[in-house]
Amino acid sequence: MNSAQPATRPAQSNVMAVSPSPASPPVPAFEASKVCVWYGTKQALFEIDLTVRKREITAIIGPSGCGKSTFLRCLNRMHELVPSARMEGKITLFGEDLYGATVDPAIVRRRVGMVFQKSNPFPTMSIGENVIAGLRLNGIRDRAFLNEQMERSLRLAALWDEVKNELHRPGVSLSGGQQQRLCIARAVAMEPEVLLMDEPCSALDPMATAKIEELMQELKKNFTIVIVTHNMQQATRCSDQTAFFYMGKLIEMDSTAKIFSNPGQKQTEDYITGRFG
Amino acid sequence: MPATHILHNFDNALEQLRNTALMMASLTERSLDNAMAGLFDRNSDRCNVAIADDEEIDILEKTVDKEGYEILIRFQPVASDFRHVIAAMKLSNNLERIGDAAVSIARRVKKLNAHPVLPEVKLLEPMYSETIAMLKDALRAFTDSDVELAMAIKPRDREVDAMNRRLANAFTDEMPKNPEQLRGYLNLIFIARSLERVGDHATNIAEDAIFAKSAQDIRHTHPAVPAKP
Amino acid sequence: MNEISAVRARGDQHRYRKAKSTFVAGLCILCGVLVVTPLALVFGYLVIQGASSVNLDFFTQLPKPTGEVGGGMANAIVGTFTLLALASLIGVPLGIFGAVYLAEYGNSRVNWWLRFSSDILNGVPSIIWGIVIYGIMVVPMKGYSAWAGGVALGCLMVPIILRTTEEVLLLVPQSYREAALALGIAKWKVISQIVIKTARKGIITALLLAFARVAGETAPLLFTALGNSFWNRNLSQPISALPLQIFSFATSAFDDYHRQAWAGALVLVSFVFLLNITVRFLTRKGA
Repeated sequence: MNSAQPATRPAQSNVMAVSPSPASPPVPAFEASKVCVWYGTKQALFEIDLTVRKREITAIIGPSGCGKSTFLRCLNRMHELVPSARMEGKITLFGEDLYGATVDPAIVRRRVGMVFQKSNPFPTMSIGENVIAGLRLNGIRDRAFLNEQMERSLRLAALWDEVKNELHRPGVSLSGGQQQRLCIARAVAMEPEVLLMDEPCSALDPMATAKIEELMQELKKNFTIVIVTHNMQQATRCSDQTAFFYMGKLIEMDSTAKIFSNPGQKQTEDYITGRFG
Repeated sequence: MPATHILHNFDNALEQLRNTALMMASLTERSLDNAMAGLFDRNSDRCNVAIADDEEIDILEKTVDKEGYEILIRFQPVASDFRHVIAAMKLSNNLERIGDAAVSIARRVKKLNAHPVLPEVKLLEPMYSETIAMLKDALRAFTDSDVELAMAIKPRDREVDAMNRRLANAFTDEMPKNPEQLRGYLNLIFIARSLERVGDHATNIAEDAIFAKSAQDIRHTHPAVPAKP
Repeated sequence: MNEISAVRARGDQHRYRKAKSTFVAGLCILCGVLVVTPLALVFGYLVIQGASSVNLDFFTQLPKPTGEVGGGMANAIVGTFTLLALASLIGVPLGIFGAVYLAEYGNSRVNWWLRFSSDILNGVPSIIWGIVIYGIMVVPMKGYSAWAGGVALGCLMVPIILRTTEEVLLLVPQSYREAALALGIAKWKVISQIVIKTARKGIITALLLAFARVAGETAPLLFTALGNSFWNRNLSQPISALPLQIFSFATSAFDDYHRQAWAGALVLVSFVFLLNITVRFLTRKGA
């Protein structure tokens, strides 16, 4: 497990963030400071301070309604789709402010891809068209490049061998697990820097889930991954860092091994041992 | 941990595991007590009881392990729950060894009792009382999750080791003075060594208790010897 | 408990209940038949009256002058299609873009007013449209015209297309929009390339339904297109349409015109029928 930096424990705060030591290395993928989100008058997130490290898998766990999906959507500005949503605070992507006045959300979303809980390949497109949909609809016309990206992305998503002879078939004709890998291929075709996954396996059977978890380990070599999951075993199997959210607050964040063997906060321990939640 | 699990079966299983382990502990203590009482009171009947009880101790070891495996498979415990299950399984292992030591002592005591009394038997009393106290404290530290009490046991073990060495020397010195009782002295040396083993196992139990409570693994480290009272 | 076992014990009631069941089923079937009957009667009557007159002449010839036998309604048929095309120029863009606005943009207050207005407009009697366009277009242009007819029919089309298209767009699952937006695609492209493409079958049926409804409208055309016994060469001139021609012929004094009116009615009803069947076909399950 990567837990190179020791956790700092501010005495008063109930937040544990893993801060890089002074001589530290790479710029973190995401740095969230004092992020608050309201839906209308209801506050969903309270002053979240969180760091996502580059080329690692960070899992966000917590009971339903704790704000983990809301937070995930802040990372690619998808929460803005809800008209009543409002965010305060700062989120940077490799050092750049995601919410700057001149920043176009569409550009953010090209750099930060997303895979959803229920797989959603476009119904009017074939498998091949689905993979390159993002590229094509963003104006890329070079056929050769598109084909190359299609194959590359399908290979990255461990789907190429299964569909290489059927690229013209409709995207929705695949099985659930294959559809989800198709959506992953579609997302990685855009060559994002980060991949966000919102409970990607919750609608899949154990075998399909295992394939996607294996896929995540491969993807980790090139992408930073943030995954929201309510399956704690998945978090323990897949992730390097785990953040525990509860009622809109970040309760604790640390290396996965530490969180699941000896968490620092009682609430975390109660949740992961199944005493509430 | 005050709160209970949402799955009450999980709580029941943990409770069951704990009870089985505690039953094994009290049985083991009793066996050791019977074996040594057999020595000091020259009562071979109590030795026979100790030897007979070992069978049940062995069964309980298997029961604890079985209950532990089932909890691991069924409930996939994490954090403190996980540490407690592992610690209970290790406890049963150590207790079984203590049980074997008690049997070994009991057998030797029966042989000793068949021969004229050796005054040197009394020399074992301090070592035994310290050893049994260590065992009791280790078990209490385990059941009460008392890390401080557990930490204090390791230094006591070094003292018990020292006692063993002194006793071995003392008995060895007596051998040439009383050659017809040679076997007797040898048995005493072996009994002392068994007690020393019991001390080691008590230390292991204490270390496991610390791990269960605080996730610290202090095995193979060397804490300072506490000042003698 | 006693009551339940009493109910269970009532075995002899079985025959009575069965009879009751059959009676009610029979009533339902009867009602179903009663509903379909007028349609069958109307169509049957039209077929009887008009089928013999539906011949090649009908589709290719212009109406003969009053009194003369023969001729057809070729110009009326072409005129109907022309008016539908003109109406589409207004109805389709306004209807579809309005629906896109309602489904994809807008806030709830504006949308409420939009839908409300659309529903009211839907209920406006078509003759009112005729009179309004008369005042707005026919009078200033100093003449009846195909344009005016097209505009009147177009205004009639807008609420139908708008509401149906909006419903169809709302049926497109939000997950596709999210998936597309998450790829960094601009919103307008998401709507045109993903949402509308996914809903295209529904949109086409919405258009067909609007055509079917509007093709048979007579009242607005009375005040705008007026009707024409000859081919329309200039869209600023009056134009003939099937309903108009049927009206004109049916109310005339001449038997031959009556005969042709029956044929026209049959053709018009068949056309509407055909559109509806096409809609059914396109929206069948598994298509």
